[in-house]
Amino acid sequence: MTISKYLRGTALAGVAMLAATATMADTFRYATTTDPQTLDPHAVNSAPVLSFLNNVYEGLVRRGRGMAIEPSLATAWAPLEGENGWRFSLREGVTFHDGSAFTSADVMFSYERASNEASDVRSWFSPVTEVRVVDDFTIEFVTNAPNPLFPDSIANFMIMDSDWAAANDSALPARDAENFATRNSNGTGPYQITARDPGVMTRLSQNTGWWDDDFGNVTEAELTPIGNAATGLAALLSGEIDFIEPVPLQDVAQVEGRDGFKVLEGEETRVIMFGFGHEHDALLYSSDVTDTNPFQDARVRMAAAHAINIDAIDRVVMRGKIDAASQLVPAGISGYSEANSDRPAYDPDRAKALLAEAGYPEGFSFGLKCTNDRYINDEAVCRAAASMFAAVGLDAELSTGPVRDYWNQLRADEFDMYLLGWSPGTFDHEHPIRFLMHTQDDKKKLGSWNFGNYSNARVDELLPLIQQELVPATRQSMIDEVVAITQEEQAYIPLYVQPLIWAMKENVDVTQRADNFFMLRWVTVN
Amino acid sequence: MVYFILKRLVQSVFVMLAVALLAFSLFRFVGDPVSQMTGTETSVEDRERLREELGLNDSFPVQFGRFSGDMLRGDFGFSYRTRQPVAEMIATRIPATLELGIVALLISLVVGIPAGVYTALRPRGFITQTILMTTLIGVSIPTFVIGIVLIFLFGVQLGWLPTFGRSGTVDFGVWKTSFLTVDGWRSLILPALTLGVYQLTLTMRLVRAEMMEVLRSDYVRFATARGIPYKNLYFKHALANTMIPVITIIGLQFGGVIAFSIVTESVFQWPGMGLLFLESIRFVDIPVMGVYLVVIAFFFVLVNMLVDLLYLVIDPRLRVKEAA
Repeated sequence: MTISKYLRGTALAGVAMLAATATMADTFRYATTTDPQTLDPHAVNSAPVLSFLNNVYEGLVRRGRGMAIEPSLATAWAPLEGENGWRFSLREGVTFHDGSAFTSADVMFSYERASNEASDVRSWFSPVTEVRVVDDFTIEFVTNAPNPLFPDSIANFMIMDSDWAAANDSALPARDAENFATRNSNGTGPYQITARDPGVMTRLSQNTGWWDDDFGNVTEAELTPIGNAATGLAALLSGEIDFIEPVPLQDVAQVEGRDGFKVLEGEETRVIMFGFGHEHDALLYSSDVTDTNPFQDARVRMAAAHAINIDAIDRVVMRGKIDAASQLVPAGISGYSEANSDRPAYDPDRAKALLAEAGYPEGFSFGLKCTNDRYINDEAVCRAAASMFAAVGLDAELSTGPVRDYWNQLRADEFDMYLLGWSPGTFDHEHPIRFLMHTQDDKKKLGSWNFGNYSNARVDELLPLIQQELVPATRQSMIDEVVAITQEEQAYIPLYVQPLIWAMKENVDVTQRADNFFMLRWVTVN
Repeated sequence: MVYFILKRLVQSVFVMLAVALLAFSLFRFVGDPVSQMTGTETSVEDRERLREELGLNDSFPVQFGRFSGDMLRGDFGFSYRTRQPVAEMIATRIPATLELGIVALLISLVVGIPAGVYTALRPRGFITQTILMTTLIGVSIPTFVIGIVLIFLFGVQLGWLPTFGRSGTVDFGVWKTSFLTVDGWRSLILPALTLGVYQLTLTMRLVRAEMMEVLRSDYVRFATARGIPYKNLYFKHALANTMIPVITIIGLQFGGVIAFSIVTESVFQWPGMGLLFLESIRFVDIPVMGVYLVVIAFFFVLVNMLVDLLYLVIDPRLRVKEAA
């Protein structure tokens, strides 16, 4: 806040405000659309919660600016000798916000808490069979098979103080009624929460005793959720807040056009795609083909892929801000298949030829299901795609709806084709293979988001091998094979990588991480 | 009088139950709370267990019976989204909505009634035509557009008033009030204006129509002939006679203002019940949605009762009848 603004603000607000403005002057104010619904790091596995709590709690490892994992509460980790699993050496001299010391007992407690039935993050620990405390600063996680990715997969596993949780009756995440940890926190992270009014504002201040020095210059911060995009934009442009994310595509020009503000654009790790009802024996929403499902024929799926003009979608719907995707992870993610980086070209003639070859020279009609409030301009993308499908004879009956009812409908198989966005939680290609490519298997907890139940025996066979392979080159060749198979069979139509758009005042410098996590410690206000 | 109030309160229980029943029959179409409560990596098995724990697999009558039974016992349950007690969530949001509604109502009365009288007395004047035109525009533009225009004008361009939120509140136990600080009033002005515009137009047009009707009546003509001063005549005798229908409509509208402040609250990120309701819909937070709708139903009943009581105060004839 500049001096003149400071003075004007004070003058307008009158004497009553004087006391408050003194502390307001150096508070960093930021807004997001969704309030973190809880402060409990093990209660909800959702991006707004984990992103926010990464400022307050810390894990054994953490993700750096480039998404690679780096030491955090663990200083080093190595595979166990003679058995499967990992040994973590813990950082000494770390204290929680309340002053108590961090030891392996806290890690053990947090593991038990996070892997309990009441926790929503317990899936991270499904490969873990045993956890052993070796001494105060060494702990071992034993896994059921070799698991090279385990340290990566627990980057958001945050450590809570065992004594604090016990003293406040919060030994388990709240499942029904809230408990102390729902609205209070005690982590080891760079910030501690000083005030919280759920859904209205949350105030943080610097933890001066933090062990690391990778820290910007924000000592006080205030998070306000602003659900309405126009309101958020106005709040930024009026100078009441310093930073907001996300900014709608159509408002980018508004922000850039004004002095004193800037927009930071990047790529999220989320790939937007179309999926098919592979296991459906008949189309559900077709007016002409009702006894069979043409999408079971790879040529028809291929035709649909060739019908999409991704450049036109980029130009018309996404304002030139997207990159086309060839597979279910964007380039740069570990396991990205360089060998298969071509996507089906826009070729309506080829699409028509493929349809004719498959026995549908006149095309057919089917139901396309999309969200209208989940991804950036999702409904418009589907509308554009539907008209592109129509141009080759694939008559898409588009139905769109809010995401709150969407997954339910997909799980109930109410679609012929659907829109999906996927961000790999572990930032590795294994993640979408596990959730989207492997045959649905509730028992093994595989394929849980493979709504159309795409199934290929070789892919199923390769997944555990990929999960356990320690040699990077061998692992990559297996991933390449999966990508080659699924591209050849056109299991999905990967469309593009979703953009990430943040806006802030000119004097604010931030680091944009591809998982859309906002790290206050990387903010510098000049 | 006491009997009348008691009767209304008993009736309100039935109204609330009816609203709860309607609301519950619609909730199943809102969406699936479990997919909102769990992350992408949560297993199908864990999801099913949660669904069972929340009782979402029970039949509709069982779910509704449990909800209304708990409500009647005073147990409002816990939010699916935040796990906070719903009673507390709603209670902390009520002051924001009520204060906003009351200020909006005051703006509409303080401006609307004099403007209505004026436009009735000078039906063809230039000022009258201007007022009528402006308010016509005000009532035909949707609330959220008015809100956004006000925000961009006074918040962004001129920088006079805050664009969002409710700052400068002072705590009185659970009640947080905006009325005691300059800052509180500054953040209240724009949302209250946005919410009050429609009311203002309605009040003004109603007062104007009633007033013109009354001015044509015999007793006004006799009073004029008798030489009663115009000021007294218009503002005391004539205006009082226009008030019964005006109060009825305004009173009913006030219930609406409270219930439909949702849009204004969302545009201004005003932390009232409406904003909470919107967040709850997005999250399919069934306990909060249910309790909100029931509370709103109660407000409607309460406002209607107050309107009926106000009749007694304003119209002496009704008091006589009551006494008899």
